Amino acid sequence: MIIQTSALFLDAYRDLNSKKLFWITMALSLVCVASFAAFGINEEGMSIFGMDIPIPGLNSEVISKEVFYKGVFLNLGIGIWLTWIATVLALVSTAGIFPTLLTGGQIETMLSKPISRSRLFFTKFLTGLLFVALQVGVFCVASIIVIGIRSGAWMPEILISVPIVLVFYSYLFAVMTLIGILTRSTIASLLLTILFWFLLFMVNTADSILVQQHEAMKLRVVLIEERLVEAEQNAAALYISRQRADGNELPDGYEPTQEELDTANIFLPILRDQKADNEEFAKKLAPWRQGLYIFKTVLPKTQETIALLGRFVFSEEDMEAALRIGADDDDRSEVDDETGEVDVSSADMQRITTEAYNERSLLWILGTSLLFEAVILLIAGWLFARRDF
Amino acid sequence: MAAHLAIDLENVAKTYKTPLRESIHALRGIDMKVHRGEVFGLLGPNGAGKSTLVKILMTVIRPSKCQGTVLGQPVGDKHTLMKVGYLPEHHSFPPYLTGRQLIEFFGAMNNIKRTDRKRRAGELLELVGMKDWGKKKLRSYSKGMRQRIGIAQALINDPDLVLLDEPTDGVDPVGRRDIRDILDRLRDEGKTVFVNSHILSELEQVCSRVAILVQGQVASQGTIDELTAGQERYEIELSPESSPILQAFAGKSAEITEHTLKLLSVEPRDVQPVIDQIRAKDGVILSIRRTRPSLEDLFMQAVVDPTTGETLAPGAARKSS
Repeated sequence: MIIQTSALFLDAYRDLNSKKLFWITMALSLVCVASFAAFGINEEGMSIFGMDIPIPGLNSEVISKEVFYKGVFLNLGIGIWLTWIATVLALVSTAGIFPTLLTGGQIETMLSKPISRSRLFFTKFLTGLLFVALQVGVFCVASIIVIGIRSGAWMPEILISVPIVLVFYSYLFAVMTLIGILTRSTIASLLLTILFWFLLFMVNTADSILVQQHEAMKLRVVLIEERLVEAEQNAAALYISRQRADGNELPDGYEPTQEELDTANIFLPILRDQKADNEEFAKKLAPWRQGLYIFKTVLPKTQETIALLGRFVFSEEDMEAALRIGADDDDRSEVDDETGEVDVSSADMQRITTEAYNERSLLWILGTSLLFEAVILLIAGWLFARRDF
Repeated sequence: MAAHLAIDLENVAKTYKTPLRESIHALRGIDMKVHRGEVFGLLGPNGAGKSTLVKILMTVIRPSKCQGTVLGQPVGDKHTLMKVGYLPEHHSFPPYLTGRQLIEFFGAMNNIKRTDRKRRAGELLELVGMKDWGKKKLRSYSKGMRQRIGIAQALINDPDLVLLDEPTDGVDPVGRRDIRDILDRLRDEGKTVFVNSHILSELEQVCSRVAILVQGQVASQGTIDELTAGQERYEIELSPESSPILQAFAGKSAEITEHTLKLLSVEPRDVQPVIDQIRAKDGVILSIRRTRPSLEDLFMQAVVDPTTGETLAPGAARKSS
């Protein structure tokens, strides 16, 4: 069993080794890692290719070098390169694995060996992940070395990217495998998988918008509420002092009615209306958000899976530091007393969105995604095991 | 289950359903016995079901019905395949591998240990005449060379039974002779060889027993002697000037073709009076041969519909359900 499995993996490596695209991707990965060395952070700001650029909101006073490089690694290295560009290249490289096996005249020889179809299928699936495993592994190790030498910050924890990106890619590769077995066409499996990925992207985008808007509404309600309490206390004090100044006797501890408060501060009704509007809007968004959440439960969570890296690599202090990037003292959420409108700061927006996503459990993110993948693979494996070739 | 049989099949059937619910009967109740240690030839026109039958034996296709054994184990038993070698008809091996790597890869798929498969790969490369090409990628091979490597991979596990589907496909005459020599050698080593081929003359040279498959059924099966029993004859060839004499023998258990008289008898005693008669009429005899039908003759007899006398159409039998 070990001999056969090793042979299949060695064969997969030789296949990759013969593909120019694999080495082009590897070279681009290393260029991407080398570019990390071009970026630096110091007390004044950033340095790019040795040139110091003073940036008040982004310097080593605001965030540490370690957090800076973690951010660069996660946002550029993982967020853009590995999960988008390298993934497309990986899909192109691995799209032909099953169609070629099924149609290229190899399947008869493979099935004539003493290996069960199900084991052959699942081993071939795992060998398909080799492309990404090697790419991400090399990328992470090179990143640790380059960042370590450049900044002195050694971050072995970013190796967690290897299993996470691998799991993310396995969702797509499972779909591609099923399509490959159904259609026996490399082009069809590649295009339909990219279409599926695009649909996931659309769902994720809709989810992000809904989560952001809903959380922003809830924050607005909280901020207006806080402002309202404060304004009503001020109005009450003002009303009582005015009444006493006009010679009206009021008992100690008198609490003015809402109408009386509104005479002291004419903007209170506006604040109350704004609060009610935001509450109503938040209430309207809630079922949509919940519905999309349920819909996403049965789909692979590509976005959330990659976002897990942030959870594992960044501590709370790191996150706080990252949120301070580019922020100044004026950059905070505020309620306009006259209009009741709330200006939610970008840092608060980032914080509440991150918190909302962090509430999504690991079981929901990975468990249901892997369940989706398992179902897809079981269907594909069943078809593979049942089919005549 | 007979121990002397390498393949023992009873009532093997395979029916495909098309999307239009049409049934294609690729195999219709195959009964076949292949003895251990013999070279067995399976022949038949295109679409007769030869490759389907081999694929069923190799677990590539699932039969609709099947009773039988391969090397004493039920058809479909994966473990048995450790002792079976197979060369598919339309194989395509990974072009990025060298010949040696390919043989070793399939050796590993047969669970052969690394040192053993390395040693065996070297031996097989020499056996199939590819010793100097073992380190070159398959993409640089000709079709004949790939066929030789294909045969080598089929032998990596030192199999008791080897199934070769069109082994000489794309191979030049020298290569064909080499492959025949390999088959002879395998037989001498006591292996059972099952060959599918269109090239009847080759099968005739190497096979001890054959089966002719027509439209998914075994039309005939046995040794060449068994299949030609009762069909042997004497052929007397005359000079062209003497050929008019032959008309005198028309209808007397004989066939006449231009200058040749074919006597439907294998008894030398029956031939002597005929020679005397020809000589008496000053006929010049060029040759006298004892002949029997070739495999091609048998094949052609098998593919002719006895009711209409016409050649059966190639392909499997179809029937709407």
